[in-house]
Amino acid sequence: MLRYSKIYWYFVVQRFKILMEYRLNFFIGSISTVLFQGASIIAMWAVLRQVPSIQGWTLEQILLIYGLLTLSKGINHLFADNLWVIGRDYIRPGQFDRFLVRPINPLFHLLADRICHDAIGDFIVGFGLVGYAMVKLQLPITLASISFIILMVISGGIIFIALNLITAATAFWIMDSIPVTNLVFSTNEFAQYPLTFYHRSVGILLTWLLPYGFASYYPASYLLGHSIGWMAWLAPLIALVSITIAYRFWVFGLKHYGSTGS
Amino acid sequence: MSVIDVRNLGKTYRTIEKEGGVKGAIKALFRPQYREKVAVHDLNFQIDAGEIVGYIGVNGAGKSTTIKMLTGILYPTTGAVTVLGHDPQRERVANARNIGVVFGQRSQLWWDLALIESLNLVANIYEVEPSRYKQLLSHFSEVLELDEILKTPIRSMSLGQKMRAELAAAFIHEPKIVYLDEPTIGLDVMVKQRIREFIKDYNQTHNTTVMLTTHDLGDIEQLCSRVIIIDAGSKVYDGPLHAIKQQFGKYRTITFETNQPITNVQLPPACEQLSLSEYSLELKFDRSQLSASQVATALMQQIDVADFTLNEPDLESIIKHLYQNPTAYNEVAVNE
Repeated sequence: MLRYSKIYWYFVVQRFKILMEYRLNFFIGSISTVLFQGASIIAMWAVLRQVPSIQGWTLEQILLIYGLLTLSKGINHLFADNLWVIGRDYIRPGQFDRFLVRPINPLFHLLADRICHDAIGDFIVGFGLVGYAMVKLQLPITLASISFIILMVISGGIIFIALNLITAATAFWIMDSIPVTNLVFSTNEFAQYPLTFYHRSVGILLTWLLPYGFASYYPASYLLGHSIGWMAWLAPLIALVSITIAYRFWVFGLKHYGSTGS
Repeated sequence: MSVIDVRNLGKTYRTIEKEGGVKGAIKALFRPQYREKVAVHDLNFQIDAGEIVGYIGVNGAGKSTTIKMLTGILYPTTGAVTVLGHDPQRERVANARNIGVVFGQRSQLWWDLALIESLNLVANIYEVEPSRYKQLLSHFSEVLELDEILKTPIRSMSLGQKMRAELAAAFIHEPKIVYLDEPTIGLDVMVKQRIREFIKDYNQTHNTTVMLTTHDLGDIEQLCSRVIIIDAGSKVYDGPLHAIKQQFGKYRTITFETNQPITNVQLPPACEQLSLSEYSLELKFDRSQLSASQVATALMQQIDVADFTLNEPDLESIIKHLYQNPTAYNEVAVNE
């Protein structure tokens, strides 16, 4: 563990050096994430300013959901963005082989190879929204509520990573996994709003199959004092189960890895 | 004692066969037709510590597939590989500590990082002891002439510089076994020579085992005491380099030049005409049945010979002959 932390830190330092070489990219990346998020928020605001609330949910309450989801997404973005491009940037050009001949876990090597600084934009927007909503809604900002948020954001981040890991592992068979990852990942947009907005089946999908709901709707409901019972505390368990299944699938996929050409 | 033990190793790739066009793509999606391609079949060999083995064969013969199974990149379909007591797939990390790998066609280093940063990162991953790392780095800098490129990012290096960088990265943790997949591909003679000397020197000082695939027979002649030839996924020769010449190079060629046009020549038995023009005749004969002087004498009685040249088969032409005539492998028993 200590060894892996040391190696990870070394990767971070090297990555930072590269970023400094391409300084403009660094700023454009972070700013574009903020702008991208900003556009979604404006769209949401444009819809919700027409009506004071939808099914009893106000704009601020929905922004809390949105903010929590953005923070979880940020964790995935920061630590696991390379899962998106495993097929295109690593397997197809034959770059994945080198991870398999080094004395560290190949998945760790893949993730450490590119820490994605663009995630800073997610964290700025996420913290901003959660903070704004909590203040506006006069929710208590205490050690307990902050600890709860941190626990849920980490669990949500792991759920995001787990689902991307499963879809990324399909690259071992189909090479270009981006469309598959995109298909699954896009469903997280449903989780920007209360799951009660949708048909029951969507709620079930985002709770039990693609459990993005645990990164947004459920923790927000708990913070808002809605009675959702033990569902409020289920996220860490769901995260643990998802990442375990995902990692097993990844290992299974590795056995099917066919490498490329000569 | 053998450090690499390969038993009944086989690899079959299964690919989906696609017909052209949209229709074909849809068909492949719903009713895939699989095509099996045997890349390696029932391979057996052992390699001892300190050996430099040349692993050769035509493109697509299964060389890279074998190397990838030995290094742990691919899972074998059948059989087993043991490298220094480890299963390269199941004990990936333990195996990786013992081996160094260079793929001539692709980089192991970080495109955007200066070489020294890449080497630091590699040393970190392999946990090379810092003082030892310093020692090795200065040694490699000297023999591979890295000083001028240590601060250069890989992306701006020439092919020759890149390969020297790759070698340094592959050897920095002092591996017991090194796999080199076409390490001299596309390089000029000077760089080739430097790289061969580096490999040879390292092998002699560290008793490192080297397995080398190449299309450059200069690599083989200068480095390898033993050669394994693979064809269509199966081993067709395994033995000392010099024995290839003895076993497969049994034919010599002789060329006669004349002043008079050549007509009507009776060839001695075990002798075959390769080419005939007006003033020149090229023959091939089996050295085990005929001597050069017997052939020359027989011909001189019939034609007015102005000059003749005798050609010993070189490794290149023997290998070329073998590649072009796979049945030639059967002419001699495979040396086990």
